[in-house]
Amino acid sequence: MSQFLLLFLVFFPTVCAPVSYLIGRKSKGMRNYFVAVVTGLELAAAVLLMTSGEAAVRLDGVCGLGLGFAADGFRCLMTLIAAIGWFEATLMLREYFAHSRNRNRYYVFWLLTLTGTVGVFLSADLFTTFVFFEVMSFASWVMVIHTEKPDAIKAAETYLAVAVIGGLVTLMGIFLLYHLLGTLEINSLYHAASAVESNGALWVAGLLTLVGFAAKAGSFPLHIWLPTAHSAAPAPASAVLSGVIIKTGIFGILVLSTQVFRYDYNWGIVMLALGVITMVLGAVLAVFSIDLKRTLACSSVSQIGFILTGIAMQCLLGHHNAMAVDGTLLHIVNHASVKLILFPAAGVIYCTTHTFDLNKIRGFGKGKPLLMLVMGIPMASLAGVPGLNGYVSKTLLHESIVEYIHLVPQTAGLFTAVEWAFLFAGGLTAAYMLKLFICIFIQSPAEEAHWAGKKKYASKLSMGTLAGLVAVMPVMGLLPNKVMDGLAALGRGFMHGEAPAHAAEYFAWANLKGSLISLCIGVAVYLLIIRPFLTVRDCTGVSYPDRWPQKLDLETGLYRPLLCVILPFIGAFFARVAEGIVEGTVHLLSDLLYRGQTRNVCPPEDEEFAAYDAKPKSRVGFRYSFAYSIILMGIGLSLTLLYVLFKG
Amino acid sequence: MQHSLLLAPVLLPLVGGLPVFKMNTRTMRRNYITGLLVLEVILLCLIDWQGELCHVLSLWGSARIILGADGLGRLFALLVAVLWLIVSVFADEYMTHEHNQSRFFGFYIMSLGSLIGICLAGNLVTLYLFYEMMTLLTVFLVIHAGTSKAIDAGIKYLGFSVCGAALGLLGMFYLQGNQTTDLFIAGGTLDAALAVTNASGLKIALFCMLIGFGAKAGVLPLFAWLPTAHPVAPSPASAVLSGLITKMGVLAMIRVIYYQFGVDFVSGTWVQKVVLALVIYTIFMGSMLALKEKTLKKRLAYSTVSQVSYILFGILLLNSEGLTGALMQLVFHAVAKNGLFLAAGAIIFHIYKTKTYELRGAGKVLPITMWSFALYALSLIGIPPTAGFVSKWFLAQGGLELGVLGLIGVAVLMISALLTAAYLLPIVADSFFPGAEFHYERLHQPQKRHINWRMRGPMLVLAVGIVILGIFPGLLNWLIEPVTALLFS
Repeated sequence: MSQFLLLFLVFFPTVCAPVSYLIGRKSKGMRNYFVAVVTGLELAAAVLLMTSGEAAVRLDGVCGLGLGFAADGFRCLMTLIAAIGWFEATLMLREYFAHSRNRNRYYVFWLLTLTGTVGVFLSADLFTTFVFFEVMSFASWVMVIHTEKPDAIKAAETYLAVAVIGGLVTLMGIFLLYHLLGTLEINSLYHAASAVESNGALWVAGLLTLVGFAAKAGSFPLHIWLPTAHSAAPAPASAVLSGVIIKTGIFGILVLSTQVFRYDYNWGIVMLALGVITMVLGAVLAVFSIDLKRTLACSSVSQIGFILTGIAMQCLLGHHNAMAVDGTLLHIVNHASVKLILFPAAGVIYCTTHTFDLNKIRGFGKGKPLLMLVMGIPMASLAGVPGLNGYVSKTLLHESIVEYIHLVPQTAGLFTAVEWAFLFAGGLTAAYMLKLFICIFIQSPAEEAHWAGKKKYASKLSMGTLAGLVAVMPVMGLLPNKVMDGLAALGRGFMHGEAPAHAAEYFAWANLKGSLISLCIGVAVYLLIIRPFLTVRDCTGVSYPDRWPQKLDLETGLYRPLLCVILPFIGAFFARVAEGIVEGTVHLLSDLLYRGQTRNVCPPEDEEFAAYDAKPKSRVGFRYSFAYSIILMGIGLSLTLLYVLFKG
Repeated sequence: MQHSLLLAPVLLPLVGGLPVFKMNTRTMRRNYITGLLVLEVILLCLIDWQGELCHVLSLWGSARIILGADGLGRLFALLVAVLWLIVSVFADEYMTHEHNQSRFFGFYIMSLGSLIGICLAGNLVTLYLFYEMMTLLTVFLVIHAGTSKAIDAGIKYLGFSVCGAALGLLGMFYLQGNQTTDLFIAGGTLDAALAVTNASGLKIALFCMLIGFGAKAGVLPLFAWLPTAHPVAPSPASAVLSGLITKMGVLAMIRVIYYQFGVDFVSGTWVQKVVLALVIYTIFMGSMLALKEKTLKKRLAYSTVSQVSYILFGILLLNSEGLTGALMQLVFHAVAKNGLFLAAGAIIFHIYKTKTYELRGAGKVLPITMWSFALYALSLIGIPPTAGFVSKWFLAQGGLELGVLGLIGVAVLMISALLTAAYLLPIVADSFFPGAEFHYERLHQPQKRHINWRMRGPMLVLAVGIVILGIFPGLLNWLIEPVTALLFS
């Protein structure tokens, strides 16, 4: 039964994709219902799988090496999140897409992407992971480009480039891993890796494999696709992109960090560096952003940094990794739940205002208490306000860093810096969420806003779906030991975490202190930096100028010139040299052969009168010139000289 | 008696192609050609491929014409015949806008006979004769348009092919005296004693033969005919030129390496390394030039240069995974590249566009064509679950076993895959996503030529095939495993 469920979860959406297309050609309403039912069934299957325990299934020979799927606590949980995300976003899509073109095409790839994502989460070996990873990358590309507006096309270009390059580099890494280890089975990677003698080769393979996964997760320096792609995609698509799809990258990184490089100190340092840079950088970008969806996207980058930091602490802490493991898993869950609400909620705003620009949606939420709750609670949760679920995972991650400082006093200085970076990034999270909240819900709207008079802004279905999801957050946050610890236990098998010695006291002063420091930093940043420097106050109210220096954009500053101009130039130079040598020789030979001849060519349309090719102008002077004879003489002389030299 | 059955699939197209020259009604010609090609496939299926030989005639001295049927021949012959059939269905409709259709189809059918002859050749002499015959027959497909550009391209094609074959012949002359038998025997036919004393001479002979036969396969240095000949030939002709005729060079190289010299002799020599280096360079160069090329068919031709070298890379690795990957790549590339040229043909046929940047919005006008195009492109790049991924996987595993040169080769495979993505995917992206403001009227042509199911069918079959083969590569085991098992037992 569970085996059937596994296959059902992975392949059911693919089977339904063409069906939805066919239905959509007949009736659009029917298709919407159909897709909702499909994702609903997927959700039901995910819940069933969760309750039915561990299972594994292999399809030998498929795609060459055979596909393997397995279900354990972590995989089931991730699949469940994916299914919830898709179901919720599908419900939201109906309203969001009410006036959109090409919806049929969109739904096909929507379901294909679901297959890819679930396939990654349920994969039992890296080969399967990679196959579905690619399916997902390419299928979700259609979601990014869907609107076909210029910025969407540009964002999709970047997305595709990152996906292709990342995918190929990862594939190269997987080739090497398979060659070194002889297996790609996730559960046996650890043993195979500890038997490998050449550590260098393993590291090369591991780092190469990391690239594609890190790119998908949105880790620095490959995060460039994320802000633009998320802003360009339709809001429900951004929700699953941010809430679920980038977690497939995390899945790959987890496989590397908890299997191949389990408890490896150096690997932990690499991940820590990536994590810290990503979380601070993403947060800074989010603070500067003046676009609602872009802020949320940059926030995703930052939160991925938090998760990476958690993964790094798992490697560093070795057998004491209980808190890091729990924190990582919970932060994955929390970030997914927050973004699965905030992006569709942004979509709700867009449906009325047709823009995400903070200057134009300013004050939209005034007098809309339900929307305020639906957006305010996830924002506060992500900022780490005690009593909500985000606080729990952040506390665990923070504690794991503190624990390491106590365990290894030699590096206490470095890790105190890491701790402060962590708190600072958390503070920035609070600051940009505060900025969004105040902009949307507190400040008054501009007078010319065309939506100002409208009362109704969303359907009951949409708001009901969102409100239902939001209601879970305080429950999770207020009963952490009951709900959150149970969730965290699901991840321990996969990540090889030890169970904690005693249940964590989330509301102890020591833990609350970290959160309060972060929140204070947040308020300070908002009051001292955002208010004076990133906003302009005039007679019509507050406006948000774009103060981010364009020069600092990695994409236009480094990647595009490098990949579109410099590298192709160098490559083409080498290719053309080889081609030129061959073509040049041929030209030389034909010049010698046809010297003094004109070639008669009789085109078929003119059979009575033979037409003569005009003499090729470029080489005429050369052919009959004195210089030509001299060159030939020179070649002859030098050949003679060579002969004499070598003979003597 | 049973053995002379081998002659039938060779003679059937060669003789059966003659009446086509005089058939001027389209329906009749179509039925005749389809019937003949189906019969050809059936004949090939009837043959018992257990290494039987058919001695046709002795020429002079020890040279003789011999046909043989072994696993490798079966793989190539079936591939050629089936794809020839599929392309012919497309060609019948496509060629309606060209003149002299009877002449085209006459040579089209006759060339098949020479290709099957190469597949069934039992020794190098036979292979060489059919090889030259193929060159001479297919030149007419290249110069079909009759413009001076086409004729120039034809002469270039002829020149490169003849030079290449001559180099091969040179090697054959030297090899002849050092063999125990002239037949193709798995593991090689070199005389053990002479192989030691004449080792350096034999290596030079091997090098000449590989470079010579590499001309058809488009390896450096003799690749330059491909990008010239493909764009001027009618699309169905470019399809078979690129998908199948280049593969005959590959077949000749496999025969030389694995069935004449033998893996033991070749492996570790400078010849292996030098040719491998040339092949790796070709992989990169082909992709790079394709990226810089703006004419669609020429871009595809450069892509062939690169992709066929993937196959040769696998062959020259001289290990089991490498060869498996090479044979898979051979099938998959043939399918995908045939499909790509058919799609390019359909684009020319319907919207009169030949440049890559003119294809914006084509996805709306030609949905099935561009969908197929997208799938073929994904396979060429090697994205799962299309077939190219599987062959790349095996090639890479084979490459990593070889050491440094293999590792470089695998890295270049990846770079080339990236370049392939860069030169094919933008076409797909532009054609399906021209931008919200795009006006589709721009693609309308005053003279409409409609694409019917005779053109769509073949493209769809190939596109579905490339996905099914990618998901279930085991379907090819019965063709590929006997070959690798025999060569690496």
